[in-house]
Amino acid sequence: MPRLENPKALVALQVKAREQRAALPQRISVCGGTGCVAAKASGCIEALNAAIARHDLSSKVEVQVTGCHGLCERGPIVVIAPQQYCYLGVAAADANEIIEQSIIEGRPLDRLMYQVEKKPVTSQDKIPFFRGQQRLLLEANTRIDPRNIEDYLAIGGYTALEHALFEMRPEEIIASVKESGLRGRGGGGFPTGRKWETTRNAPGDTKYVIVNADEGDPGAYMDRSLLEGNPHSILEGLIIGGYAIGANVGYIYVRQEYPLAVENTLLAIGQAREQGLLGKDILGSGFSFDVEVHRGAGAFVSGESSALIAAIEGHVGQPREKYVHTSVSGLWDRPTNLNNVETWANIPHIINKGAKWFASIGTKTSSGTKVFSLVGKVRNSGLVEVPMGTSLRTIVYDIGGGIPGDKRLKAIQTGGPSGGFLPESMLDVSVDFDELVKAGSMMGSGGMIVMDEDNCMVDAARFYVDFLAHESCGKCLPCREGLRQLLHILNRIVAGEGREGDLELMDELCDTVAVSSLCALGKSAPNPVRSALTHFRSEFEAHIREKRCPSLACVSLFHYEIDGKRCNGCSLCQKNCPPNAIHGEHKKPKTIDQESCIKCGACETVCPPKLNAVSKVAGRAEPEDSPLLRQKTG
Amino acid sequence: MPSQQTLAQTEVDVVVVDDEETIREGCRMALEGEGLRIETAANGALGLELLARVRPRVALLDLRMPGVAGIDVLKRLPEIDPRIVPIVITGYASVESAVDSMKLGAFEFLTKPFETTQLLDTVHRGIHHWGTYAPAQSALAPRRAKQAQILKSQEDALLKSLEAAEEYAELGGTPTALADELRTLEMQADYHTRQLGVVQKKGKALHDFVADLHAVDAIVARHLSKRSALIQILLDIQSQKNWLPSHMLMWTSRRLGVPMGRILEVATFYEAFSLIPQGRHQVQICTGTACHVRRAPELLVTISSLLGIKPGQTDSDLNFTFKQVHCLGCCALAPVVKVDSAYYGNPSMKELKEIFARCTKDAQAEGEN
Repeated sequence: MPRLENPKALVALQVKAREQRAALPQRISVCGGTGCVAAKASGCIEALNAAIARHDLSSKVEVQVTGCHGLCERGPIVVIAPQQYCYLGVAAADANEIIEQSIIEGRPLDRLMYQVEKKPVTSQDKIPFFRGQQRLLLEANTRIDPRNIEDYLAIGGYTALEHALFEMRPEEIIASVKESGLRGRGGGGFPTGRKWETTRNAPGDTKYVIVNADEGDPGAYMDRSLLEGNPHSILEGLIIGGYAIGANVGYIYVRQEYPLAVENTLLAIGQAREQGLLGKDILGSGFSFDVEVHRGAGAFVSGESSALIAAIEGHVGQPREKYVHTSVSGLWDRPTNLNNVETWANIPHIINKGAKWFASIGTKTSSGTKVFSLVGKVRNSGLVEVPMGTSLRTIVYDIGGGIPGDKRLKAIQTGGPSGGFLPESMLDVSVDFDELVKAGSMMGSGGMIVMDEDNCMVDAARFYVDFLAHESCGKCLPCREGLRQLLHILNRIVAGEGREGDLELMDELCDTVAVSSLCALGKSAPNPVRSALTHFRSEFEAHIREKRCPSLACVSLFHYEIDGKRCNGCSLCQKNCPPNAIHGEHKKPKTIDQESCIKCGACETVCPPKLNAVSKVAGRAEPEDSPLLRQKTG
Repeated sequence: MPSQQTLAQTEVDVVVVDDEETIREGCRMALEGEGLRIETAANGALGLELLARVRPRVALLDLRMPGVAGIDVLKRLPEIDPRIVPIVITGYASVESAVDSMKLGAFEFLTKPFETTQLLDTVHRGIHHWGTYAPAQSALAPRRAKQAQILKSQEDALLKSLEAAEEYAELGGTPTALADELRTLEMQADYHTRQLGVVQKKGKALHDFVADLHAVDAIVARHLSKRSALIQILLDIQSQKNWLPSHMLMWTSRRLGVPMGRILEVATFYEAFSLIPQGRHQVQICTGTACHVRRAPELLVTISSLLGIKPGQTDSDLNFTFKQVHCLGCCALAPVVKVDSAYYGNPSMKELKEIFARCTKDAQAEGEN
């Protein structure tokens, strides 16, 4: 394909791509995000293609593999255009029926649709999960094949780049980003425009721009979904940023744990280069820019700007003191602007629709939308994009559909390992950068983990400290040793060996680590413990004083028992017990050998609900040879 | 500065054969600045002449030149003076041919454009190896001939014995004596077959070893020998071998000129790298927050119990490696298990058993082949 030499050629290609797509209105879009692929979407795609071939419809309809739609819990998701019928949880076996009923006859297939009060919901945007959202960034994911640049061009892709290169001066772009009020989506919430300006004004001819896609927060996958589903939007934002800042080289730093994201990004870069949207003299504007992909080798701390830069230079990812900002002295000691994936993805929208429009979305101090990964104990878990300032209640109950199994919500954890727990009483907090900090948590990159009454807050705090102690790079002592000691205490508490004074000691340790650590990892590491101690102190006390886990979640503080009166001896539990710890003849009540039990809970899961014979019992089991038990069994 | 003794043997340290004047003069400036003596030639034919005349310690050869190319000079270098250490210069596009030139005995290669420090480092290492660096081929040739001779004479001896036995039978020799003779012969033949097996095994190990080094060369070339690409290079080795064997790390260290200590610093810092062999099948359990609150800890003990190994361990027949990872980024399917490249959301005991059985079966089939 020839390179696009000027803006006119770009517009012509966009029009051509749009016309080609308009000529073939019937399309079956299958979500090819990692979530849906894990739910066997590839089988569906094959089956759909086979069914199309069988009915000789190849000239009338095509299967398009798109990026993530967001409702990952119910994948694989299939959308039929032009009617927009949305099918959830589709299996390969459904393919034939979909083709016959929805493509040939044009009727919806009710069975596969989202049901509200037993009535099918006709299109995706009417499903409560999607209705409550404002999908500025994620919307395109459902409409384009991320591996085909023409799909992106057909929806007006690279128009913002053309506009920025030919009708705006770099200073105007920066002014526009400043006016939009866009703040860094990676967690810090630093005003993006100001960061750009600092880098632009920093002395030196060589400058760099970097996309931070080292999404290390456990429980968050917004960046993955954007990079996998719409890599061109991030590239477009990055090129505009490069032009505004005066950089000719960009890096995309992406975790190697995201193979599909790496693959799609590399493909997108190749296509953009081929079209002349990357490389020398982009669209004939005289501006040259190119991008390199660096794969992260798995270290949470590499998400920190100076550590990430060290990793790109080929060193171990350890942060440095930042009395000189990376925007002045970053990669190879040159001024470097680093932004999160989601921040870059917002740039084309700001250029296309204007800073005023962007600033009108969200709240006064936090403009725009934010993508959250709403996961954990929630019915519709997946990716949610809402305007800043939406309340937690709206996100969890209206969009997320509430807690499954009529359980009670206990806490929502936001901000990843550096964030905090928000108890049920704080459900009406509106979610933006400043409100969350006031409530004792933070925005972070957008992880939102819902926990219900079965989750133990002591264990959750221990989980985060365990994670952070493991991920601490070890450069500074407060973080390395402080977290290790915190973990040591928490491990004791969940094992039922907590002591009086532990809580006070933890309070003190938290203060020390927060004040004296080198980088943000250590400074924010005590947050989960602090907020758990503030809101759920009684749970800690129960563990320490009564050696009891109120949620029956801490492995050392409960055991499983089979109720001999309820058990009918169906042997299901016996067959499913990994260590073969369940004994008893068929058709006779079973018993658990507590010594070999690994507490995997398989017996509880497989026991038929009508019997409900297996249950968790607080405290440790008595040994089988205890004199008391011998007396009982006679 | 070279010592008096070596001066007597060679007057010139480096000969640069390159058709680009900028490269020739650039090298001259850089190397003379270090106190090295250098001569240059603008094409292959002049280069051969110059090399034969001055017999330097290091020859820098451009691969692509009109007329006699660098690769031809490289091939004829052992005839001129086997002590000369050849270093190949190559452009961005022809890194693959650089790898080929390594097979022909090049000591090292430089990709254009190269930094002065890189040039000096490589040349100094070359000088250090002068006289002791002999390309593998020339060292092997006499041995190969000797080996062929031994094999031939053994075969002859065996045939002669069999002929003698035949004659003995024709003469009407006693069957028991003949049988004894034949048994002895058979035992000797068995012994030789066993010996051959040992040699073959050693040969295969050596072959794999060399293949690994070639793989490193190809990976390093793909990353243009950039030191900053160290992490990317290690990631590529890791994905090819599933772990980082020490000989490949040493080779990387030599090729990049990065000390082994720094390579190990990087390899031990990042989660993605393993310095011990990994199983053929990677079982990863996600213990990110979303998975943690949805029974990942229970799933972890289940898998541990099924595989008989804890997270971080590999089973004794190198079939499975069980790993705990922080987030696989498919939180909505929690708890998630990844076996090789396939993801499974909340798998049941039955599913897990089936998946693992499939992997074990694959391994057995492989073993039989």
